[in-house]
Amino acid sequence: MQYFDIINLAYKTVISHKLRSILTALGMVIGIASVIVLTSIGRGVHAFVLTEFTQFGTNLIAVFPGKTTTLGLSGATISTVRPLSIADAISLGELENIIAALPLVQGNARIETGKKQRRTTVLGVGAAVPEIWKIKVARGRFLPKNEQANPRAFAVLGDKLAAQLFAKTSPLGQRIRIGNDRYRVLGVMEKKGQMMGFDMDDTVYIPTAKALEMFNRESVMEIDLLYNKNTQVKAIEKQISNLLQRRHGREDFSIITQDQMLKSMDSILNILTLAVAALGGISLLVGSVGILTIMTVAVSERISEIGLLRAVGAEKAMIFKLFLSEALVLSVIGGVIGIFLGIFIVQSIKFMVPGLPVQLAWGYICTAFIISLLIGVIAGVIPAIKAARLRPLEALRSE
Amino acid sequence: MMVRDTLSFSWTAIKTQPLRVILIVLAMSIGITSVTILTALGESARLYIVNEFQALGTNLIIVLPGRTETTGGQPPLFGATPRDLTLADANALYRSHHIAAIAPISVGAAPVSIRGLEREVTILGSTSALRRVRHLSLSKGHFLPEMDIDRTLSICVIGQTIKDELFARQQAVGQWLRINDRRFRVIGVLASEGQSIGVDFDDMVIVPVASAQALFNTQSLFRILVETKSKEGMYKAVDDIRELIKLRHEGEDDVTLITQDSVVNTFDEILVALTLTVASIASISLAVAGILVMNVMWVSVTQRTAEIGLLKALGATQRQILWLFLTEAAMVSIAGALSGLLLGKVILLILQVSYPEFPLYLPMWAVFSALAVALLTALIFGVLPARQAAKMNAVTALNKR
Amino acid sequence: MIELESIHRIFQVGEQQVHALNNINLTIKKGEYVSIMGPSGSGKSTLLNVISLLDQPSSGKYTLNNQVVTELNDDQLAQIRRKNIGFIFQFFHLIARYSAAENIEIPMILAGIPVKERKLRVEEALVDVGLQSRAYHRPDQLSGGQIQRVAIARAIIMRPQILLADEPTGNLDRRSGEEIIELIESLNQKKMTLVMITHDEILGCRAQRRIRLVDGKITQL
Repeated sequence: MQYFDIINLAYKTVISHKLRSILTALGMVIGIASVIVLTSIGRGVHAFVLTEFTQFGTNLIAVFPGKTTTLGLSGATISTVRPLSIADAISLGELENIIAALPLVQGNARIETGKKQRRTTVLGVGAAVPEIWKIKVARGRFLPKNEQANPRAFAVLGDKLAAQLFAKTSPLGQRIRIGNDRYRVLGVMEKKGQMMGFDMDDTVYIPTAKALEMFNRESVMEIDLLYNKNTQVKAIEKQISNLLQRRHGREDFSIITQDQMLKSMDSILNILTLAVAALGGISLLVGSVGILTIMTVAVSERISEIGLLRAVGAEKAMIFKLFLSEALVLSVIGGVIGIFLGIFIVQSIKFMVPGLPVQLAWGYICTAFIISLLIGVIAGVIPAIKAARLRPLEALRSE
Repeated sequence: MMVRDTLSFSWTAIKTQPLRVILIVLAMSIGITSVTILTALGESARLYIVNEFQALGTNLIIVLPGRTETTGGQPPLFGATPRDLTLADANALYRSHHIAAIAPISVGAAPVSIRGLEREVTILGSTSALRRVRHLSLSKGHFLPEMDIDRTLSICVIGQTIKDELFARQQAVGQWLRINDRRFRVIGVLASEGQSIGVDFDDMVIVPVASAQALFNTQSLFRILVETKSKEGMYKAVDDIRELIKLRHEGEDDVTLITQDSVVNTFDEILVALTLTVASIASISLAVAGILVMNVMWVSVTQRTAEIGLLKALGATQRQILWLFLTEAAMVSIAGALSGLLLGKVILLILQVSYPEFPLYLPMWAVFSALAVALLTALIFGVLPARQAAKMNAVTALNKR
Repeated sequence: MIELESIHRIFQVGEQQVHALNNINLTIKKGEYVSIMGPSGSGKSTLLNVISLLDQPSSGKYTLNNQVVTELNDDQLAQIRRKNIGFIFQFFHLIARYSAAENIEIPMILAGIPVKERKLRVEEALVDVGLQSRAYHRPDQLSGGQIQRVAIARAIIMRPQILLADEPTGNLDRRSGEEIIELIESLNQKKMTLVMITHDEILGCRAQRRIRLVDGKITQL
């Protein structure tokens, strides 16, 4: 007997019980579709978070004061007896393969113009911000280079802050007061939006040294370094570590590379996707119990038919294959429709809620299809064995 | 037909198809089990976190230096400010009569050493009030004594991890250790808190707040923890603090106040939403189980056509036939729900034994809604096949076979 | 071609042993027309089942076409049935969801015969039993007599040497019963060995050779 014939017979049987087959396949459809939709959302969030992280570029290294092993902030960010200084940043910037260095202090102060005022985030930074953080200046220019150690009182405004303080007049060249000091506005940054819950547009950028002075601090909170893409991270990390150890006499800082961040982020997000896939998989499991049930029903209903087939010369293996194929046909039809439904839902989500990050996870879609095949086999095997084991004579007699 | 008869009739029908029924029960119970477990995990996580927050202290207000007008952003948790919160600010807060205790906090990192062993450690400067506000307990010695807030004193209280690493099995209380270039005498060891959210007190050295400021050469405070006298006094205290600080900061409102219940509420809302989402994703499987119930009911209506015809011939009304089949579906579903609950309970017990530090709790409403959902599923998905059975023409049904 | 030597078939019914076939010795030659008669419970169905290889005797030797078949396993028996034996049942045993043509086709599908040849042979068979116009009707759209014709077409589609009929007219009215018998007998005239079970005396007497069974023993050859 040819395989085509087996499949054909199974298909005819499945078709002949329309309602029953539709309902059975529907269980699979829902299971597979929910796995696909959920993993697509998981994959979308994954991609979204990674782009958030990589919008600064991937060849970044951050140096923090204090020795910490975890990714959390240590007390050293707030105050430390061993500060990380602007001078450290400058000499790190001179290292081979380091393109730019950015000493960073973050704080909070009141910004005043003649009439208006607003309390907002103050970032003490260097000239390298546009290069390292990949933010463009919309109007005017950014803080000048080569003024790290003894800078003039210039400020650059975020998009929202500029709008709040100056409304429609041009802020360029205007004088503003930050804390107790006066600054001249050099430029306005382009709109950037929220990033990790931090509004990049409601900020003002001033030189690091000015910020340290204003906040009465010795240590910067972080030094961001941009390195040459074509070099090994490990080597650069070692270079940085060596230099700072020479300058400080000991290892009192932590280095976190964007690479490490991305890797741990990636693995966390992968686990998340896997977890939602497993959640969807519960429905798939229930769907497969459905196929098992219906196949059991089918065998018990068709005992006399099995008897006839055996009488006219079907071997045990043939009966087994017939029933197994039936389960396979059911699960594959369900699986394929489920895949299409899932893709359709994902596309509609994309279309209707553009804000929600969704991305088809083809790996999971293929797995879902293979799983639907496996479910067919697993759910089909037990009833098929039961069918094949029936004694022909008794099967024929049953009515 | 009495209810009892309907039940026993359905029961005999179920008994004739044990395998089929077991499979439906299995499908239903997989759904119910997963919904139960996920709800229990979500609820337990919520309670755990809420409890943890409450353990941080009761009626707590956190005063942070700085304030942003950005809406929706996070409060300025780690930033620096031009005008510091100072010890004098902290002292001034005592003027509000809604406030019971004030613990100013100064944080930094410094190397701590003893006889050549060195470790970089988080140093927390505070006062004796910290113990009350954060509900800390000691395993040995004393906490910081009550004294003037601006007095430096070379004493410290160390966390359990620090004790183990620097002193191993020796007595720590009474010993001297070096923080950066200053010497401090250990007067107490904190009892281990285990994992607590936010701050790991085990890996920390606590010194008088003025000593910490001297150590880090700063005047500023990281934050001030305030405990109010009563829950009702909380919002009055918030207003008082704002006024007092404004008065001291030349009329400028430049602090952020976080009340404990606002934090707890936020986490509460997030976790409830998360639990509901996860539980509803899992309950898709209940819909799949419902479809299976419908399918099998349909099969059994077709197989029992002759029986239905006979019942009709004997005078059964449509309503009676409808209820016969619905009862059958309901019985199977409830059996599934009960076994699912049981299985869920067993799995939760196993989890509880494996992770004793995370208390698991299955809310009663979850149990009842699982049962209700199962019953509802059976009725919704059972009604179509049952109606078909009820509407059958008696003559054709009887003549079948 | 069919040789039965001291065949016994014993059933265990609860505590009791039932001797359904008791020392049967029987030889049927190629092309013969044999009827097996006897009261119900006499063992005639058991005898047919043994001959048709659906049941194995408890003891004795059965040689079919010079091959001893008492030692063969289930699947080997299935293959022999497929090639050599055609069945006609009292209750027809058509598969309800398949059309007449598809029902006839089944043995050829099992034997792995190519589709083209299958179609041709089904058509021929339908002509042979006079049902050309009913090829695509399902069993519930056919009369009893027509159903039995489909079953006969299915029985002969593999061109077996032996045709076994178990009360082939038992569920038919008188007229269509006669038509069916004539159809089956016409097959016998084409050199097909025919073994028929019946408790209808008139029908049984039409056979060249009549076997009567009582309590598992052959009383008349």
